[in-house]
Amino acid sequence: MKVLEIKNLHKIYNTTQIRVHAVNGIDLDFEEGEFAAIVGPSGSGKTTLLNLIGGLDKPTEGEILVNGVNLSTLKSSEIIDFRLRNIGFVFQSYNLIPVLTAGENVEFIMGLQKWDRKKRDERTRELLKAVGLEERIHSRPSKLSGGQQQRVAVARALASKPQFVLADEPTANLDSKSTETLLEIMESLNREERITFIFSTHDARVVKKARRVITLEDGKILSDETRN
Amino acid sequence: MAWRNLWRNRRRTVITSASVLFAVVFALFFRSLQLGSYDYMFKSAIESYTGYIQIQHHDFWEERIVDNTFTIKPELNNRILQDENILATIPRFESFALASSGPQTKGVMVIGIDPEKENYLSEVENKLVRYRLTPEAVSRIKSDRTIPEKVGNLLDLYQGNSYTNSGRMQLDLGISDKDAGSLMPVIEKEARFENGHISMGMPGAWIGDKLSRYLEIGIGDTLVLIGQGYHATSAAGKYEIKGIVKQPAPDIDNKIVYLPLDVCQDLFNAPGNLTSLVLHVGDNSDRAVEETLNRMEPLISEPCRLIEWKEMNEVLVSQLDADNKSGMIMIGILYLVIAFGVFGTVLMMTAERRREFGVLVAIGMQKKKLASVVSLEMLYIGFLGILGGSFLAIPIILYGQTHPIVFKGTFAKMWEDFGFEPIMAFQGIDYYFLWQIFIVAIMVLIALMAPVRRILGMNVVNALKA
Ligand SMILES: Nc1ncnc2c1ncn2[C@@H]1O[C@H](COP(=O)(O)OP(=O)(O)OP(=O)(O)O)[C@@H](O)[C@H]1O
Ligand SMILES: [Mg+2]
Repeated sequence: MKVLEIKNLHKIYNTTQIRVHAVNGIDLDFEEGEFAAIVGPSGSGKTTLLNLIGGLDKPTEGEILVNGVNLSTLKSSEIIDFRLRNIGFVFQSYNLIPVLTAGENVEFIMGLQKWDRKKRDERTRELLKAVGLEERIHSRPSKLSGGQQQRVAVARALASKPQFVLADEPTANLDSKSTETLLEIMESLNREERITFIFSTHDARVVKKARRVITLEDGKILSDETRN
Repeated sequence: MAWRNLWRNRRRTVITSASVLFAVVFALFFRSLQLGSYDYMFKSAIESYTGYIQIQHHDFWEERIVDNTFTIKPELNNRILQDENILATIPRFESFALASSGPQTKGVMVIGIDPEKENYLSEVENKLVRYRLTPEAVSRIKSDRTIPEKVGNLLDLYQGNSYTNSGRMQLDLGISDKDAGSLMPVIEKEARFENGHISMGMPGAWIGDKLSRYLEIGIGDTLVLIGQGYHATSAAGKYEIKGIVKQPAPDIDNKIVYLPLDVCQDLFNAPGNLTSLVLHVGDNSDRAVEETLNRMEPLISEPCRLIEWKEMNEVLVSQLDADNKSGMIMIGILYLVIAFGVFGTVLMMTAERRREFGVLVAIGMQKKKLASVVSLEMLYIGFLGILGGSFLAIPIILYGQTHPIVFKGTFAKMWEDFGFEPIMAFQGIDYYFLWQIFIVAIMVLIALMAPVRRILGMNVVNALKA
């Protein structure tokens, strides 16, 4: 089943000095349960593409369908709600709300969806356990290492059982040990919860773990390989 | 969530609410000082001379001539005194004359008073000069080796000044209460100034400090007054100077002459006549004065009339009104500074949280919801600041009310030269208190619009880059 279809996607940034064609005619499909890496040199359009998929930015041309829903038909407040229910996000760093504990950060999304308390608590514990941070549930982000923070961010991204998780260079600020741990966690969640992960990276070791690797250059797809 | 944010990010909460707190304290402090000082000037003007109610000849206020005077029967005076709010009646005879002593001549204001009754209101006796820093006195004091150099310099600065009490002199000379015990007796001894009394039937006079300097006369000298008496008779008399009074307002100090009432009436050939009879009230609130006026109205008949403090102090009222306007500009500038402080703090805090806001919207929080949470947070902070500021300001103002600021040294001299008493009083807790709080609350609400607008107009992608 297709969770995501991208058709003839373009994004042009018009600044006063230059015109940048950051995404230049991309067509892509993602099936449920994929574990896909987007790679490419700096400036190739990885972040732009992920932002467009997540509805954080609007395409200049083309369509994005999530579970058959065309994002461009939604109003901006509807897109936010759509993200809440269908898309998980992990950013490169400073993902977490500093005043909330690890547990509260994970719970936050479920709170926005008005889940009842018991269900929220259960799911929070389950997710923190899955990322190996059950005992840090009451810690504030400032008391966690960078790797631990990213693991909490992954747990939060999964909280509302989204269609897929978008992660823009989630390991860029991590050492190799933490990178490995995070990747393992993402992989096992991908397998166990059948959640689609789409992440961008520069890191060859991360690329190795991906089952599909999409390479971008100058906003275009250079190659798209699936391996087993 | 709003509460939790406040509690968990104490630094932010403290900084922002502190900015509001200081805003409230400053606004209250300055407004209290401003209103209090007006009130003080007002009260001291009214209470030092006109009083709240007077009886005058119908035409006297418009045309202050000796012919527009009146007599009052003892029975009427007694009936007036029976009123519950009238503590005393104070008779006066005011006119103008030419004063001369030797070669010097000057137009002066002559006031015939009952020295004892004046103690109810203008307290002329308390304004008698008790100390004078004459050049001789200053050099005698400075020859005492216990006098510190700093005090010596101030003595030079204030040379020629007169004082009605030693406290003010001590302030001017910058002597602390601690040193007063050793220094003041020397100064008091050398600067002492002795006055005599004036009393009914005796041709003695008290004259203003500045006037005495102008005419170059002192105690024991003779003052000649020439003027026009009742029904165009000529008026002239010789009086021995018994005392020097210091009036706080310089333009009164340089032209005032007090005579005993009957002596003055004789001078102007109008025995028994008065230019005004002050009805000295106990309760001086607007309402009590109004009610007293109403009770007096039926007792007074032509050619007399009752005249109120507002009419008598018209100039002062409009002057204070003008002053109040410039005061408003001052406080307006203060508000601007305060508003910038609060606004700046809020903007800083908002900028600091840009990424946090970006993440929240990215993971699915509606901008409106976020804006309302942040607004609530700000309202809590504003409330905290206003509450704290009020509680901090109350004791300051209450203390200030009983301990007005009395300026010392050169600054005090500057004020006096401008014709002000070097005192700033505080206004007690009053309606203005709510107004100031209201104004700061409005500022908080305006400052609130900054984060709200930022959030509603936020570009998530850019916010995430922060
Ligand atoms: N807001 C913007 N305004 C103008 N140009 C932009 C903007 N955002 C990105 N670009 C440009 O679009 C192109 C693609 O940028 P993008 O951030 O998607 O690259 P990237 O592959 O994520 O790079 P990196 O590996 O460095 O993160 C770049 O040339 C960049 O300068
Ligand atoms: Mg990027």
